[in-house]
Amino acid sequence: MQKYLLRRAFFALGTLIGVSLIIFVVLRILPGDPLVAILGVEGHAKMAPADREVLMRDLGLADSLPVQYARWLRDIATGQLGKSFFRGDTVRDLILHRGPLSAEIAILALIISWLVGLPVGILSAIRPNGWADAVARSLSVLFIAVPGFWLGLLIVLALLFWFGYKAPIVIVQLWQDPWQNFQLILGPAVVLGLAQGAYIARMSRSCLLEVIREDYVRTARAKGTVERSVVLHHALPNALLPVITISGVLLGFVLGGSVAVEQAFGVPGLGRALVVAIIERDIIVVQNLVLLYAGIFVVVNVLVDMSYAWLDPRIRYQ
Amino acid sequence: MADPVRSKARKPGVSRRSFLKTVGVAGAATTAPGFLRSRAEAQDTPYRDPAAKRGGTLRYGVHTAPAHFDVHQSGTVANIGAQSPMYDTLLRRDPRDGQTIIPDLAFKWDVAPDGKKYTFYLRKGVKFHDGAEFTAEDVKATYERIIRPPKGVVIPRTSLFTAVGEIVVLDPYRIEFRLTEPRPRAFMLGAFASGWNIIVRKKTLDDNQGNLRQVMAYPGTGPFRHVSRKDKEVWIMERNPDYWNKGLPYVDRLEVYHMPPFSPELGSAFLSGKLDYARLLDPVSWRKAKEMPGVTAAAFNQSVIQACFMNQKKVKAFQDVRVRRAMHLAMDRHVLVDVVKDTAPMQIGGFVYPFHEASTPKAELEKRLGYQKDPKAAIQEAKKLMQAAGYGQGLKGLDFLVRDAATFKLWAVAIQAMLKENLNVETNLRVVQISQWFEEAAAGNFDIAITAIVSSLMDPSDYFTAWYGKDGPQNYAGWTNEQFHSLARNIEREVDDGKRKTMIRQAEDILESDPPLIPVSYEQIYDAWYNKVRGQNPTPYFGIYDVVRWDQVWLQS
Repeated sequence: MQKYLLRRAFFALGTLIGVSLIIFVVLRILPGDPLVAILGVEGHAKMAPADREVLMRDLGLADSLPVQYARWLRDIATGQLGKSFFRGDTVRDLILHRGPLSAEIAILALIISWLVGLPVGILSAIRPNGWADAVARSLSVLFIAVPGFWLGLLIVLALLFWFGYKAPIVIVQLWQDPWQNFQLILGPAVVLGLAQGAYIARMSRSCLLEVIREDYVRTARAKGTVERSVVLHHALPNALLPVITISGVLLGFVLGGSVAVEQAFGVPGLGRALVVAIIERDIIVVQNLVLLYAGIFVVVNVLVDMSYAWLDPRIRYQ
Repeated sequence: MADPVRSKARKPGVSRRSFLKTVGVAGAATTAPGFLRSRAEAQDTPYRDPAAKRGGTLRYGVHTAPAHFDVHQSGTVANIGAQSPMYDTLLRRDPRDGQTIIPDLAFKWDVAPDGKKYTFYLRKGVKFHDGAEFTAEDVKATYERIIRPPKGVVIPRTSLFTAVGEIVVLDPYRIEFRLTEPRPRAFMLGAFASGWNIIVRKKTLDDNQGNLRQVMAYPGTGPFRHVSRKDKEVWIMERNPDYWNKGLPYVDRLEVYHMPPFSPELGSAFLSGKLDYARLLDPVSWRKAKEMPGVTAAAFNQSVIQACFMNQKKVKAFQDVRVRRAMHLAMDRHVLVDVVKDTAPMQIGGFVYPFHEASTPKAELEKRLGYQKDPKAAIQEAKKLMQAAGYGQGLKGLDFLVRDAATFKLWAVAIQAMLKENLNVETNLRVVQISQWFEEAAAGNFDIAITAIVSSLMDPSDYFTAWYGKDGPQNYAGWTNEQFHSLARNIEREVDDGKRKTMIRQAEDILESDPPLIPVSYEQIYDAWYNKVRGQNPTPYFGIYDVVRWDQVWLQS
């Protein structure tokens, strides 16, 4: 087990270094001048070459790429993660301030996806091809197809025009005011959760349909076990492994989707900070946030792999 | 004698009489300072609403967060919208009309008869938020930096003061700006009254090597003091109890929320009552606000032209004046305004701000080819011009550089269709992020490009150089016309308003016949506020950069 964990940690580290290199290089070869956002349109137009030189030096962009990369690694190692080009705020502070909100959205979205997806999947599987199955499958296809940001905008507009309601416009942390905080995260979490729930419903349906035809399920029925117990205690635990696997992958979608959905809801989380940083060409913020997202994705997938052994005693790590 | 100046706006301001009274008192103070000083200072804030009440929190939504904190180096309302309530300027525009220039940190001023010397008399007893006393040294340090910024510091307003040769501190409360050549008084005083030119402490500048980009909440003398800031969310300020203008500001607390302009986010925050005042609303939210009981919605002019540039350095055909004029005439401007009506408010105009006193009046402009509601005659003329220039068959494969914003994308498609349909000019749209647009435009990597360009003042002398000047920073097309450049230089120096107006019309005629760009439209701003917010109505304002301090706003409830 230890060997396995070490190996996985080693691969995870390799993945993150690879990701960091890709982000670093891509951000520097993409066209676009961060000085436009710093100086504004008029200031940028009036900037002299000597001013540009000084500004690029101040931003650390005049150094060679290896020097810039080494500096970034140093910033990661010290936990500071560098400073935004613009207001001089550290990326660490940005993550500490906005991260909890995005994490809450992701966790709540995951909970919603399971709360919605699993019952719907079970219902579809135990009555395959019935009307409930047809409705569940249609809805799951709909929620997979509908873009989250569009659904988000519709929800925002519907709440505004029908009820005159809008969620808080600044970050309210859970420990400051749980109710206001809940209003902030609920909308994005529902939109993201429903989309992921649709995937879980489809996956749990197909897995359960497969497991439900297994001999041991038939044996359980033959023993006279009630149908609910057969499904929940015998079939479902064995059908859950692929669902758990996909949940890990779906977390990546939640993180990616949160960028657009936070923007649609106007929720000031990390996703929105990433959008603004990309528009402003705030390279330091972008590279750290993308790496953070990649890191979370890698860690979650390792945790998912590890959970297999606990869920299925037949699996042993070599 | 103090020197009242109205800028050249068509809409006259209100209560000129009360302003002149104020000026009269200030003028008397010059001759009898011993007993009139207190009277002058008591009256030099021209507007006190007798019904005004103290207290409350004003929640104001305006633009995204600033990219940095240096107001002088900024060109966006992201800075001035959030930070200006903490600062004062030498002179300012009256919040009632947004036009009349009134005293601020300078309670009066003299202009030498030859127009080459401006002397400002500064208030005594004004304190910065850190307790330091305000003196002429702070004004000198501020303006030295604006006029001659250190390397790596770029200040868009530097060009307003090119004629200033020397700044001399006469005593701690008197300062003189000596010009190397005369400038129109309205232009110079407009520059001093620009909301951008906030007065900062000399020590602050010295301590930070003249660069305040990453210095948050450096001390000002303004009506509000910094309390806290949440990046990209809100900037909170409190009433400055030691404000020199006793009794002001009226509100105890100001919360400035950073929200993207024209966004549903800003619109929904206002419509749901989470903001008291919203600036830069999108047209849909603004129209909705207008219908709401207890809400006032206002539209006013902005200091921005939306324009297409024809790269003369790259495309040979554009060096022919007939081709450029033909492309200018091929635009149906009424349609272009209509195309974006749900995205951003726009109005038709030519090469000079259409609401400026010296520009061709709208009714007259709309009789001209290129601006008429029925574009047939203009298009016929455009076709003839293309034929005469040898491009009767049109042009193919032009690279059309488009900024990635809703308005530009909508216009680009419409303009592409107009050029193809009317002149058989074929373009390939290339949509890029704003940061890339300016990089490409500066490098000349485009055939046609569309963007917005701005000015600080409504006075043509500000933007004639930047937009149309030879090697002007926003003359992306590389246009030159010696007759125009020479005329523009004379306009810059002419101090007689009547003569200047005639010259501006002549310049306008040159620009019409030899277009340096294709004017697409002029921007407007949509504001809305709940009626409990009193003391400010931006309807007659020009732009969102001058009246920005909220010191005279009060809350009814």
